[in-house]
Amino acid sequence: MDSDIILVIVVATALAFDFTNGFHDTANAVATSISTRALAPRVAVTLAAILNFAGAFISLKVAATIASGIVLADAINETVIFAGLIGAIAWNLVTWYYGLPSSSSHALIGGVVGAAFAAAGAEAVQAQGLLEKVIVPALVAPIVAFAAAGMAILITYRMVGRLHPGTVNRGYRLGQIGSASLLALSHGTNDAQKTMGVIVLALVAHGDLSGPNPDPPSWVIISAATAIALGTYFGGWRIIRTMGSRIYKMDPAQGFAAQGGGAAVLLTASHLGFPLSTTHSITGAVLGAGAAKRLSAVRWGLAGNIALAWVLTLPAAAAVGAITYGLSALFGDGALGPLLICASLLLLMAAMFGKRLRSGPAMTAAPMES
Amino acid sequence: MIATVDSGALFELLWAAPLAALTVTIAWGLVIHGSARAVEARRDGRTGLAIVHAATAFVGAALFTTTVVFGLIVMTSKD
Repeated sequence: MDSDIILVIVVATALAFDFTNGFHDTANAVATSISTRALAPRVAVTLAAILNFAGAFISLKVAATIASGIVLADAINETVIFAGLIGAIAWNLVTWYYGLPSSSSHALIGGVVGAAFAAAGAEAVQAQGLLEKVIVPALVAPIVAFAAAGMAILITYRMVGRLHPGTVNRGYRLGQIGSASLLALSHGTNDAQKTMGVIVLALVAHGDLSGPNPDPPSWVIISAATAIALGTYFGGWRIIRTMGSRIYKMDPAQGFAAQGGGAAVLLTASHLGFPLSTTHSITGAVLGAGAAKRLSAVRWGLAGNIALAWVLTLPAAAAVGAITYGLSALFGDGALGPLLICASLLLLMAAMFGKRLRSGPAMTAAPMES
Repeated sequence: MIATVDSGALFELLWAAPLAALTVTIAWGLVIHGSARAVEARRDGRTGLAIVHAATAFVGAALFTTTVVFGLIVMTSKD
């Protein structure tokens, strides 16, 4: 009975993480399109939500691979997964609150690493896997995307610099609809799979699925796709504002160079079997497209804060994951610990939401619709 | 420890990713440049030049479409 309750809690927490993932990462696909007025804010997030939903059905092969090669499989049980998810959700909410783009996937890995560390000790964590799958890609993605988008915008200005600005802006706004769509679809194919993988892992631990690499059941696919699409639709406007206009005020050509360049880097990396974080790539590309035009136009202080958030993602999510596991373990192996933690978190979130509503406009309001 | 990172894929990424980004950018730049110049040339009555610019825009559109299709194939075939 306890095991059934824990499974329900893990599935619900995984879907909540999926929602925050969509909510948090909407900015990657649509921020520059909204900023350059290629798409109206609500249209942009609706398009991204639909394509995230569709993307979740396109590729199922990466499901069940989250944290593999990073945490020993024997160390993973339902409580570790639950604690890892709480670590990831907490970090997503903190970075959303401060309007900082950060990788949801790295937060999830960090959460699971911390929880596994608390459950089974340092031997449970494979440092080489962490280096290969998290740290090196986190260094490579923004640098490559920065360089690619920087070169792209220089060539763009060279090619169209003498044309009428109205024609150029219309052209690049049109192009941004395509690049935003590609990014949103790519995000759906990547990130919804991670939630499916987490739920499949929990179902295997519970004994509902067996085999080395079981396919996710239909209800898992549909619920994960729905959660990420809903999160995307609600849109993390704070991060959209940061990516779209707080780093610098971009023109449509820069928006296209950032999105097109970022998407090209992401998909090339995926093709080479070297998957990179969407957030790191797009943020690097946004910075590159701004810096190549005029170095001083970029708010480097804000860029520094974003970099700091990236550095802190893994340890912070790991710390929350470890603490959550520890608190849960205080109440034994049963469902009481996870239930109490969920109830406490829901109360905390309701209090924060209420405080935010009392202190200003609703947090789901589109900020750039004027 | 660094030996665990696939250095071959990493090196390939360092040149292939910027190349892909430049391909997308140049392709869409050709669409905008070609179509804008074609409209101007047609307005000025220079039909031959308009056709050349329109053809440039068409080549850009074909290249852009190819890269998008390639992106879709990458998405659907990853493992």
